Amino acid sequence: METVIPKTSTVLAALLKADLTTQWRNRRAVILTLIVPVIILMSWKGLVAAAGGPFVLSNSITIGLIATGLMSYSNAIARDRDKGIFQRLRVAPVAPWTIILSRLIVQMMMILAITTLVFIVGNNYDKITLTPAGYAFSYLTAIIGGAVYLSLGQMIVGRITSPETVSSTTRLVYFVFIMVGMFGELNVLGKSVHDLEHWSPYGTVKTIVAVSMEPGKWNSDTSTSLLLTIGYALVFATLGIKWFKWNTK
Amino acid sequence: MDQQEANILTVEGLNVSYGNFQAVQNVSFSVRRGEIFGLLGPNGAGKTSTLSAVEGLLKPESGSINVDGYNAAEKPLYARASLGVQLQSTSFQPELFVIEVLQLYGGIYGLSLTKNDVLAILRDINLEDQAFKKFGQLSGGQQQRVSLVIATIHNPKLVLLDEPTTGLDPQSRRQLWERIEAIREKGHAVLLTTHSMEEAESVCDRIAIIDHGRVIAIDTPQAMIDKHREDKEVIAVSRRGKITLEDVFIALTGKAVRA
Repeated sequence: METVIPKTSTVLAALLKADLTTQWRNRRAVILTLIVPVIILMSWKGLVAAAGGPFVLSNSITIGLIATGLMSYSNAIARDRDKGIFQRLRVAPVAPWTIILSRLIVQMMMILAITTLVFIVGNNYDKITLTPAGYAFSYLTAIIGGAVYLSLGQMIVGRITSPETVSSTTRLVYFVFIMVGMFGELNVLGKSVHDLEHWSPYGTVKTIVAVSMEPGKWNSDTSTSLLLTIGYALVFATLGIKWFKWNTK
Repeated sequence: MDQQEANILTVEGLNVSYGNFQAVQNVSFSVRRGEIFGLLGPNGAGKTSTLSAVEGLLKPESGSINVDGYNAAEKPLYARASLGVQLQSTSFQPELFVIEVLQLYGGIYGLSLTKNDVLAILRDINLEDQAFKKFGQLSGGQQQRVSLVIATIHNPKLVLLDEPTTGLDPQSRRQLWERIEAIREKGHAVLLTTHSMEEAESVCDRIAIIDHGRVIAIDTPQAMIDKHREDKEVIAVSRRGKITLEDVFIALTGKAVRA
């Protein structure tokens, strides 16, 4: 009897169904990831008139993207690797990239959910509306920006094996990104920090998401930010893949 | 049928290293179709490393592994599709119910299992009423039964079991032995690692004793006892006058306790 290899689409569908179920059963953590950008969006209502709707929306979305990539993705990968879940999957006729792709698809869906939620709350609570093109471009740049933080999460989980250390490291990086990002953006920490923040992974993602909400304002600064965003994602992903080990033992 | 076709697994000149430590040194053995083959050895002897190389979890330094005619290095997916595997410590996504874990692994092997299909599988192992529990909520014996059924869900030609009865009570262990023999009766071969000489004698058609990464003996359990029963070292470690497989094992691998 000839050996038959299951189709990649069949394998991916089975993995995706399991990963979505896992995500659904962890819905408390999902809600916590969704709630932070909403809180920031609501608390910054007073800034809408001064700084503009895209400024507030883009900061909220960026913080949601950081939470997804750093906290949800990397911690789930670290836990499953430590428990031997990946080893069990890898002894089946499964190409390793399908295991990770399934996880990334779930996180991409989370990114779309965060972006949608921010737009809904922004519209209903802060009365911020965008053009259809603005909404469409924002989803696109949110996906590109999300890739930066997912690859950063991959890099952390590649470098660090212990799930506890991955958790504490991602929390620390999340905190630094939020503090330096938000306060640097508001010029609270001085010009040098503001400039540093502008070209950091936080700043470049925030810039492309903000400008994509008003596509007419796209300029060379935004293009540079887009290139840097893609560059960050490529560097983090390359290192994350290079360093990653499927087994902690 | 020539020798190559008679073997479902052929391992030749296998070497596995972890940094400077060579865990497996020039290991060669074969498993015949429809036989239960045991890999025995003290802790750290290289059993799990050998099995991990066969499973594709470790890349060997050198040597070849052939599963059902497929070279594992050249056609890893085909080799793995021919295998059913139960790892030493099995873990599935803790959020999933048992029924969902079975559907996941069915899907991974290209099977489309309905809820009724999975319930029928669970009924066969007397676990239908546990279908909507999470794997971690099952007892050790129940977990082993689920792991074994997942390892054989796609009707593999060779089933690899890494210390399958560790931590089980005598009843669960006996039941598992019967299930392993049932796998063989369906025409599958089984390669298992074990510390239990009783298990090796009761279940295995042939065994290989592995120590310090090398295979030091391969034979049937009884032939191995007969071959060594007159050895001075074996008689010296014998406890009750009757020579057992454990006496032969201790004599061949030494009395020192391994880490």
